[in-house]
Amino acid sequence: MLKIRWALAALSLAASTALASTSAHATDVTLWVRTSSGAVLQGLADHYNAKHSDKITVTQITAEQMVPKLGAAIAGGEPPDGAVLDLIYLPTFAAAEGLEDITEFAKSRSYFQAMSPSHIRLATYGDKIYGVPALPDASIIAYNTDLFQKAGLDPNKAPASLEEIAADAKKITALGNETYGFYFVANSGSWLIYDFLPHLWAAGADILSEDGRTATVDTPAFRETVAAYRDMQKAGAIHPTSRSGNGNNAVEAFASGKVGVLMTGSYIVNLLTSKYPDVKFAVAPIPGPKGGVSSFAGGDTLAVMKGISEEKKKVLLDFVDFYMSPEEQVYITKESGMPSRTDLAADAYASFDKRNLVAYDVLSKARTPYTFSSDELFVSRTGPFLNLIQGTIFGDDVDGAIKKAQEDFTKILERTNP
Amino acid sequence: MAFPTSPAPAAPTPAARPLAQPAEPKGWLGLLFMAPSLVFITGLFLIPLGMTLWMSLHNWPLLGRVKFIGLANYAELAHDMQLWHSLGFTLLYTVLVTAAIMAVALPLALLVDRPLRLAGLFRTVYFMPVVIGFGAASTLWMWLLNPDSGVFAQLLRGAGLVDSAPRPLESFWPALGVIILMVVWKTAGFTMVILLTGLQAIPADVIEAAKIDGASVFSRFRRITLPLMRNSLLLALVLNVTSSMLAFDQFFIITQGGPSNSTISAVFSIYLASFSSYRLGYGAAMSFVLLVVLVAISSVQLAFLRQRPEES
Repeated sequence: MLKIRWALAALSLAASTALASTSAHATDVTLWVRTSSGAVLQGLADHYNAKHSDKITVTQITAEQMVPKLGAAIAGGEPPDGAVLDLIYLPTFAAAEGLEDITEFAKSRSYFQAMSPSHIRLATYGDKIYGVPALPDASIIAYNTDLFQKAGLDPNKAPASLEEIAADAKKITALGNETYGFYFVANSGSWLIYDFLPHLWAAGADILSEDGRTATVDTPAFRETVAAYRDMQKAGAIHPTSRSGNGNNAVEAFASGKVGVLMTGSYIVNLLTSKYPDVKFAVAPIPGPKGGVSSFAGGDTLAVMKGISEEKKKVLLDFVDFYMSPEEQVYITKESGMPSRTDLAADAYASFDKRNLVAYDVLSKARTPYTFSSDELFVSRTGPFLNLIQGTIFGDDVDGAIKKAQEDFTKILERTNP
Repeated sequence: MAFPTSPAPAAPTPAARPLAQPAEPKGWLGLLFMAPSLVFITGLFLIPLGMTLWMSLHNWPLLGRVKFIGLANYAELAHDMQLWHSLGFTLLYTVLVTAAIMAVALPLALLVDRPLRLAGLFRTVYFMPVVIGFGAASTLWMWLLNPDSGVFAQLLRGAGLVDSAPRPLESFWPALGVIILMVVWKTAGFTMVILLTGLQAIPADVIEAAKIDGASVFSRFRRITLPLMRNSLLLALVLNVTSSMLAFDQFFIITQGGPSNSTISAVFSIYLASFSSYRLGYGAAMSFVLLVVLVAISSVQLAFLRQRPEES
């Protein structure tokens, strides 16, 4: 027994000295990434690790667990060195003093002007910048041009308003054979802010105020948007999985060729062309109920955790410079459909599907809600936003659902505003 | 290997023990024997309980500063409709699921109690789902129930029973129904084993005597089997009620609280307060209230359990 203990002690001593000696020339940096971006970031990290002695270790975290896990890790004093977060969480973590101020780094980059404006706006808290764009994306609609043609619609002209989408969807549904005109993911808060809020923005309305401190649910734009959705739902033009769907089947349903219009995001172009090359489709910005277009500027922001060593900080920021290089930007565009830099569109898109440019062009009109309680208000499956959409589109009592949501929004905002 | 043989030589000791009794009771020795479990109880129950109480008196966000607010969390709890609704839902679920499990497990136990050659196989088959974790079983059922690619939808459509895939999770009673179905499948085997131990403890000669007296199958079950397995029935009841009151995984994974927040169990609402609203203090206060409710329910049940049936 004693012998084993000695052996163990010797072994662990050897191990720790070995670790200490390697860390002298190479720094190991941990980076938490949400699952959906995991593959791209892992690819970037692999490219980086192959060329550097420092090492980036990517850990994938399920999107909805990112905030609780990161929050708990910060509270427990064991956070990762960096995190690639959904940009919507930046105000929350910046306000809670969990992130390192990297204003100086960001502003001194030659490509600072080319960083996605929405990413920078969300990463800014109290005039300081706490993150730089990693992967941007924008919500768009994709429509099946074959089905448009079959239904007697012009496949070269995207629907200009939600009401037009509703009319088209009904015609497509009338084709029969389990064909549905419209598919949106209604049982996931993060999908709904991505695909539903742009309708309101396109009409110049919003739920949250600019500073994210107050909410107005009942607007004419909201009523009109809901009316168009209800119209489709009543006509049976909405795919039956929309209501309880969490996004798992959305792309497959569209790829099966039996969905007319899909509310989706910019990544769909490369996903469909690589995995389902037979689907004939076009993409367009998300229209408002009566016209106008907008989009949700989504994606990920890389943030450095507060209090990490200068060495690690240097490696992480070096990694940023690395993936911002034109070569890696092409890789990012290939994998996720959009470059992180706005000045490389020509290079990045040169060899890819031109349909990618639709989302890229709408980014100037794209928005992101600035909020300190994204999870509780929007993302949570039990939160007021998801229940508002479910209640107003699939329920019987539109006024009641709006009233309840307004109360819940106000209550939560009053409690969580910093 | 020492165990099976020990009872025989140990037999004379009960007679010898009274003689050795007068030696002073060694209090410290008892304490020493209790120490390991005391350490466990202190470390894994008392200290966390104290921390929960302490946290419940604070405004304790996941991120940001902690502030002492006295009993404000408890005052808010009293008006929290969501919490009371979820407690009511949990009680409803507990009653329904416990009844369903008992209704399935008791016949199963009676079936596999027969001295058939295949009884062992069936016991194993019925018990198998128990060894799966609750989270894994819930994820499995989530996919089985998937209307687009799930097995149930395919089977029902293939058999021509339905035209379009059923979507039980879109309304309350069907959603609760499939959850209960899943929980029965998952846990009935465990209850069956508990009931089986009770059944097998019934001496065969009592049943035999009843048979000779001409008691029918039903009256043998009603007058002999049921009363004699009362303790294992009560034990199964206590275990089922307690675990149902703490139900979380199945609602978190399969229904995700929906439709429109109607299937949020009590533990789920604690999770939401703590990890969706990030109000750890409020979540702690809710946990404490749930603890009080559970202790009340369990003590009523344990009081029943304590009344032992007279044994002849």
